[in-house]
Amino acid sequence: MAETSVFFLPDNIEVKIALGQTLVQAAAEAGITLRGACGGKGACGRCKVQVSSGNVTLTGTSKITPEEAATGWVLACQAVPEGDVTVFIPEASRLVEHRVLLEERQAGVLGILAEEAVEVAPLFHTEVLRLCAPTLADNTDDYSRLLWTLKRERGIEKVWTNRRVLKELPRVLRESDWHVAVDLARIGGWSEIQGIRPTGREAEDAYGLAVDIGTTTIAVELVELTAGKVAGTAGTYNRQAAFGDDIISRIIHAIETPGGQAELQKAVIETINGLITELLQFRKLSPQDVRAVVCAGNTTMIHLFLGLDPTYIRLEPYVPAANVPPPVKAAELGLQVHPEAWVHCMPAVSSYVGGDITAGVKVTGMNDAESLALFLDIGTNGEMVLGNRDWLMACACSAGPAFEGSGIACGMRAADGAIEAVRVFPGGFEVAYETIGNKKPLGICGSGLIDILSSLHGAGVIDRNGRFVKGNTSPRVREGREGSEFVVVWGNETGHGGDITVTQADIQNLMRAKAAVFAGLRTLMISVGLEIGAVERVFIAGGFGRFINIRDAIAIGMLPDIPLESYTYIGNSALKGARLALISRKAGEEIKAIAGRMTYVELSSGNRFMEEFISALFLPHTDMSLFPSVEGGSYGKVHSCH
Amino acid sequence: MPVTIAKERWSSKCLETVLGTGSKQVKVGGDCTLPFLHFEGEIPNPPVAALEVLDAPPQEWPDFLSALYEGVLGDPAAWAKKCVEYGADLVALRLTRIHPDGENASPEEAARVAASVAEAVDVPLIVLGCGVEEKDAAVLPEVASALSGKNCLLGCATQENYKSIVAGCIANGHAVIASSPLDINLAKQLNILITEMNLEPERIVIDPSIGALGYGIEYAYSIIERMRTGALMGDRMLAMPVILLVGQEAWKTKEARTPDAPDWGEQKKRAILWEVMTATGLIHAGGHIAVVRHPESLRHIKGHIAQMMQPQRY
Repeated sequence: MAETSVFFLPDNIEVKIALGQTLVQAAAEAGITLRGACGGKGACGRCKVQVSSGNVTLTGTSKITPEEAATGWVLACQAVPEGDVTVFIPEASRLVEHRVLLEERQAGVLGILAEEAVEVAPLFHTEVLRLCAPTLADNTDDYSRLLWTLKRERGIEKVWTNRRVLKELPRVLRESDWHVAVDLARIGGWSEIQGIRPTGREAEDAYGLAVDIGTTTIAVELVELTAGKVAGTAGTYNRQAAFGDDIISRIIHAIETPGGQAELQKAVIETINGLITELLQFRKLSPQDVRAVVCAGNTTMIHLFLGLDPTYIRLEPYVPAANVPPPVKAAELGLQVHPEAWVHCMPAVSSYVGGDITAGVKVTGMNDAESLALFLDIGTNGEMVLGNRDWLMACACSAGPAFEGSGIACGMRAADGAIEAVRVFPGGFEVAYETIGNKKPLGICGSGLIDILSSLHGAGVIDRNGRFVKGNTSPRVREGREGSEFVVVWGNETGHGGDITVTQADIQNLMRAKAAVFAGLRTLMISVGLEIGAVERVFIAGGFGRFINIRDAIAIGMLPDIPLESYTYIGNSALKGARLALISRKAGEEIKAIAGRMTYVELSSGNRFMEEFISALFLPHTDMSLFPSVEGGSYGKVHSCH
Repeated sequence: MPVTIAKERWSSKCLETVLGTGSKQVKVGGDCTLPFLHFEGEIPNPPVAALEVLDAPPQEWPDFLSALYEGVLGDPAAWAKKCVEYGADLVALRLTRIHPDGENASPEEAARVAASVAEAVDVPLIVLGCGVEEKDAAVLPEVASALSGKNCLLGCATQENYKSIVAGCIANGHAVIASSPLDINLAKQLNILITEMNLEPERIVIDPSIGALGYGIEYAYSIIERMRTGALMGDRMLAMPVILLVGQEAWKTKEARTPDAPDWGEQKKRAILWEVMTATGLIHAGGHIAVVRHPESLRHIKGHIAQMMQPQRY
């Protein structure tokens, strides 16, 4: 293919481009981003450059005066080099703000919580014991002898076992000369002897699994139990997604389709088994090595996982079959781990505040702290917990799937190519953005949507109601098939060639989602008679939270207006909590205690939530005194201009 | 036994709005307490009442009501004068002819009518559009410009059409009616949007949307009451005076429209009572301007206000 070379001044960079490409493309090749509000249509006149040697073909001449043209000025988007050229790019034509802005934006992104060290006392462990051999004077039976030794040597009481172990017991004790390794599974205050072996033949390390059963994704951690170390992590989409995107449609499938409940259980077990196989193969382990499993998930997911009837979760007064289901054997569920391994589920509080939340609260440590903290898990359902070491309150509100990128025309999950950070410049002519993996943009994910809402308002493109301001002259604001829309990325920059837009309907969806989150929070605060400002720390959980820009989330009135330092991102806290419970029985007990003392506030009773919701349907809020740092809407503007 | 009168202490007060010019200027609002609790705080201005004038002979009005304006029904300026004779504190001109489903009169025509009415009377003028948001957005700025400097009250501006109406009010020195559908939050949001256009809050009057007696009046009552307590507790965006568009609600009720009947008695008496009860009820909730249709209603309402403005003896 024929090439020409373009030399850029004052950068002194030379690039080769294919014949027919424009100077904008050449500049991009050289790593220089030119300004351009019109998307290369020659309409905005911002990408002005001066050709100092060589010839270019112009595809248009608008926005350039004859005097300028005489001295070689052209619009880079309209200029195609005919041969080798040298081009001067003035500072004014460069999109220099881009990097600065995104760096500044990073400052608003959350720090990650350092993990607290726990004392390792896993749910499965092996004790090596030396028993006293029986004599005529001490003729206690073998089993009692073992129990007595466990109690005396290790302080372990309340023990039981099964017939299989008893069958082996006399032989193993004598063959090993009363020096044995005992496998103990711990449930509640009890211990089950699952095996007994001569010492010396022991053994590979025992492993456990922490599982986060999410509605959309499932994550599994393989944990080396004695060391308490993570040996591998794997995650994938929940195969139940084939039967519906959200928990309500899953419940409906379970109830209304014959065999639906079994289908859903099979789907989730198969998903987990797939991940287990992957992890075990990688570590060259067998299913027999996995001796304990801890699952955290929302109440519905746990019901479907255990094969419990989820019907009444959906119906008033929203009562689950069990908030704290007892442990079951892995074989019973068909999990491909040791058949005797106990599967524990993290305790739930109600139908809509599940074990993922109680486990998450443990990870934050807020249940032990004096300061008032807020735990937020924002997904399709926004769950939140407020409290400290003295009390804990929880509620759940339906934010809708907008933050998951669903129900938004160009929305997508936070995957490669998703726009995760956006700045719209005043007037709405120019947009700077960043994608996950620095891939060509394919759509917008939750954190990008929050940025867009905030900066469209800051740029004066939408008003406080989230409506497009009439009379905007930016070509990015246009009438689409479904009313007004804003072009975030023109088709020539995207991965699929189509324009990436946000529509009026998208903006209203986002407004409702953010309003639901804040209204839930306000309702929770008011139920304990506290003002928003009383919150001292905020923990954000869930995948969505990773790239969320707190400044923007505050500017749109979704998160409380408290100092940025108060916010911490805690990642997949459900999975972390499950792992803590797996390796530390104390942590497990604490999570139970958390569930036990958490008070659930039902938002659907009374009209307080609805009222709060309506007042939150505004940027940032009808009661602006709740957002002092956003007062007058100057917030977004100040931060996007400089 | 001595009785201690419990007094609420409020941290703030309602905004005061001045309408009209000259000696017949009307001031509303400025209340430092709940309606008529003189012992608790100052109530500088009594609530006021306006009579309605249409720009065309009314179609839906009962004969006994139209008869009171016999001879002036085709002449809005003369009709307005009649209203002043009947004792109206203000005149509310309703622009029915601009409705797109009817005559669809032009903004210029509406402005001409409004100017003629303003010329004819010296009491403050309220101008109400036809309720079709787009049309009102086109007409009211034109009216605003024709009435420039007369300090009128124009409406209704909604979340959909407030921009051009408010711009017209700013440019020509008028106040605006901010109308919202029976929701305190939406009322507040609209007030914020309007003040962000740089119209002083003192030039906004809230239309909370009301229902007549028996037709949801209790919703309006509680919204207005909450606005007042919000204002007294320091919420400036709820502190504007409240206008009650009573006539349009009261005269469409079954009770006002049903002719004389043995069980229900005389229509005229019944209809007037309905209008009076709706207006006074909502004035007690915290309304400042009642727009009514029947001169006798006006007389009753003003009489009641005068009585309520007497200071309590304790």
